[in-house]
Amino acid sequence: MKSKILYLLILATLVLSACGAKPAEPSVVKAGWAGSPDSLNPGLAVLVEAYTIFELVYDSMYDLNLDGSFTLSLADSVTRSDDGLVYTFKIKEGIKWHDGQTLTAADVAFTYNLYKDTPEYPYLNGYYTPYFSSIEANDKNEVILTLTEAIPNLESQLVFLYVLPKHIWEGVNKLEFENLEMVGSGPFKMAEYVQNEFVRLAANKEHFSTPPKVDEVIFQTFENQDALVQALKTGQLDMITEMQNTAVATLQGTENIEVVIGAPFSPGVTDIIFNQTAPENCPTPDEGGICTGHAALRDRNVRLAMAHATDKQKLIDLILLGLGSPGLTLIPDGLGVWYNNSLKDYEYDVAKANQILDDAGYLDTDNDGTREMPDGSSPLTFRLNWPSDSITAPRTAELLSEMWGEIGIALEMQAVDPDALTSQCCPAFDFDIMIWGWASDPDPSALLYVYTTEAIPTGSSETGYSNPAYDELYAQQQTELDAAARKDIVWEMQKIVHDDVVYIIPYYEQATQAYRTDRFTGWITDQPKVELSDTTSLVVIEPVK
Amino acid sequence: MNRSRAILRKIGWAFFTILFVVILNFFLFRVLPGDPARAGIRDPRLKKEAIEMLRVRFGLDKPVINCFEALNPIKLGSCAVNPLDTQFFIYVRNLAQGELGVSYHTNRPVADILSERLWNTVLLIGAGQILSIIIGVIFGVFAAWKARTAIDFTSVVSSLIVWSLPTFWLAIILLFWGSNNGLPLAGKATPGASSLPLLQQWADIGRHMLLPTITYTIVYMGEYTLIMRSSLMDVLSEDYILTAKAKGLSTFQILKDHALKNAMLPLVTVIAINLGFTVAGAIQIEAVFSWPGLGGAVFEAVGRRDFPVLQGAFLLIAVAVIFANLIADLTYSYLDPRVQTE
Repeated sequence: MKSKILYLLILATLVLSACGAKPAEPSVVKAGWAGSPDSLNPGLAVLVEAYTIFELVYDSMYDLNLDGSFTLSLADSVTRSDDGLVYTFKIKEGIKWHDGQTLTAADVAFTYNLYKDTPEYPYLNGYYTPYFSSIEANDKNEVILTLTEAIPNLESQLVFLYVLPKHIWEGVNKLEFENLEMVGSGPFKMAEYVQNEFVRLAANKEHFSTPPKVDEVIFQTFENQDALVQALKTGQLDMITEMQNTAVATLQGTENIEVVIGAPFSPGVTDIIFNQTAPENCPTPDEGGICTGHAALRDRNVRLAMAHATDKQKLIDLILLGLGSPGLTLIPDGLGVWYNNSLKDYEYDVAKANQILDDAGYLDTDNDGTREMPDGSSPLTFRLNWPSDSITAPRTAELLSEMWGEIGIALEMQAVDPDALTSQCCPAFDFDIMIWGWASDPDPSALLYVYTTEAIPTGSSETGYSNPAYDELYAQQQTELDAAARKDIVWEMQKIVHDDVVYIIPYYEQATQAYRTDRFTGWITDQPKVELSDTTSLVVIEPVK
Repeated sequence: MNRSRAILRKIGWAFFTILFVVILNFFLFRVLPGDPARAGIRDPRLKKEAIEMLRVRFGLDKPVINCFEALNPIKLGSCAVNPLDTQFFIYVRNLAQGELGVSYHTNRPVADILSERLWNTVLLIGAGQILSIIIGVIFGVFAAWKARTAIDFTSVVSSLIVWSLPTFWLAIILLFWGSNNGLPLAGKATPGASSLPLLQQWADIGRHMLLPTITYTIVYMGEYTLIMRSSLMDVLSEDYILTAKAKGLSTFQILKDHALKNAMLPLVTVIAINLGFTVAGAIQIEAVFSWPGLGGAVFEAVGRRDFPVLQGAFLLIAVAVIFANLIADLTYSYLDPRVQTE
């Protein structure tokens, strides 16, 4: 009797599963990441996860390639007026929105005006449209963009200005619109979104340039990095976009898994920040200036000695497990041509570092192991702070304390809540040394700005560094239209700040991603930058037969 | 008469406590150093004007409250400021209208975020609580009845062990075990499952709940076992239990009719308090299994100084805890008439 019921159950299951089976299973790429988009409204979003989704669902005037170059996307051609102020883009014919309507120059003009006229959009307005004077569409399906100033980097300004459908956005409150339907024109369309859980995208097989070969892509949020790696190992995921470096060796030894290592798509920088704000540059109390930095850090000799006493290779080996390269300035090697690879780093040489300090008069007069100021007033004991959410900073701090201890410099180390650190940092300058970092833009201008005098009261400058010659070059590169000449200026600027030892950049970290080789094939891994979750890969991969 | 007045007074106190929490909630987060307009964003592309615009949009450009110039670290305003134009007044006014505000981080209404998260948390922690109470009580009763035997010893030792297990560690171990047995590792549902028939959707959620629920149950049942055991042993040593035995009642009857009801009292307190905190979620379990619950939402909001979410979540937790305590208070006098309402 019992076995009969079991038999019936099995039969029923078989019948049910047969009914459920479709002729062809849709091919679904399952990607795991540690975050989740903050908002699907491009104007309001801040997090990189949101931008990943925008890249897939929307198109913009230019595509950013994995080698750092730009190619026209929505337009067939572009012409620039002789004075460099007026750009005319000829929009491709017949591009369709996901809801079937046609994308025209009017949509593009509407979008650019929307970004330009909405100061509440922190990036798209604040950083990418300040040079926009007017944007119009004509009846030849052309967009005419007039600038207030001729700038050299319009491509990098337009690349994140995702083009939105006018017929949807003109009727909504642009500050409250959650944009959950997300009608775009890109190679993928929004299928389902549950915040903090997953984003499910369906392929737009009618895309005008890069229709995907897979049917769906799912991004699932993992709050736990171990689970993320485990999910890839057990085949619950096909690809992961981030992992701790400790996982790399394990994954490399796992069957059917390929680990890809390379420069990150949007390279970040880790920096060791010296507060060198001169009293005359201290922001006013109204601006929030406190300026309690140790006077010794304003002396280039001290910073230079610390640079010579920093064993960057050891930091890379112990903290990144080798997955990084020694850093020079805030412009990382991931920025391609903009990175000045001709600079020579300060060699690791403790004797030389000690000599520099001896010569500059910083001697250990009371023989307690820590040097004093030349006038004997105070010891070279610096406060060292880092954001408490950083995984690598505590070990970096420990190693720095050891290394700098060799040259008679003592540290008072403390992790600080990141938000509290911001209020200590800038523009308060209420610290001596910090370990922190920056995100970057494809154009070097953003990170070069951090070194300017102008940035001191705004909170962008972390060091209080001020050099009129540098400021002059910064202004020049902002308007230099000739790419080669601009590159020379940008390289010169890196030389200046490297010579002045404004920061110690311990390393440029490499991106680590991994995918399963038994599920999809064709991932782009031979480019200077690694980004498996970018359209570049997701539109070309195919299921393994 | 006396009793209903006492109940009213208790409800009054609960209400008063909630009011206090409402006020405390507002200032608690603003005393933290830092600036919501810059928290979690570190990017040279974010210009000073853009940050200022964010402040204006969140209403953070207004003084926190007027007439507290002496306490200026949190930007309190002078007496010249119109009290109706302070952040505090706007907060209270919105709350009175049932408006919890909009998250600084996600730009979504806080009420939406909290209701999604609350449901997830109640589902997970609720199931874990009920299981751990049932299993814990059963073990406790057994241990007490078989006091000073091998059964008792085993159950006490194992309860102590599971009670003191690090939640995080146990969760990771179970996660690795589960992933090798085909159980999902993250989230509360498989992406795309929403198109399945309802029954299969529930089965899918059940599969996702399995590991976190087991973790929760194991970690919390020890507490219930130990309390139940010691409480029941106290009762079992009373004279009237001896009398009951002498009357020839069966073990089951003695437990059911005479001992359990009295022994339940201390347990009710613990259950009530724990049920109240159910709403707060279990951050560690949520983090390991990427369960989108309230605990995680609070954790994230603290890092981003997302005041509206924090205020809303803390209010919700406070109300739940206060309410659970109120229920416990009221249940007491029912369970034990000696707990008289003075």
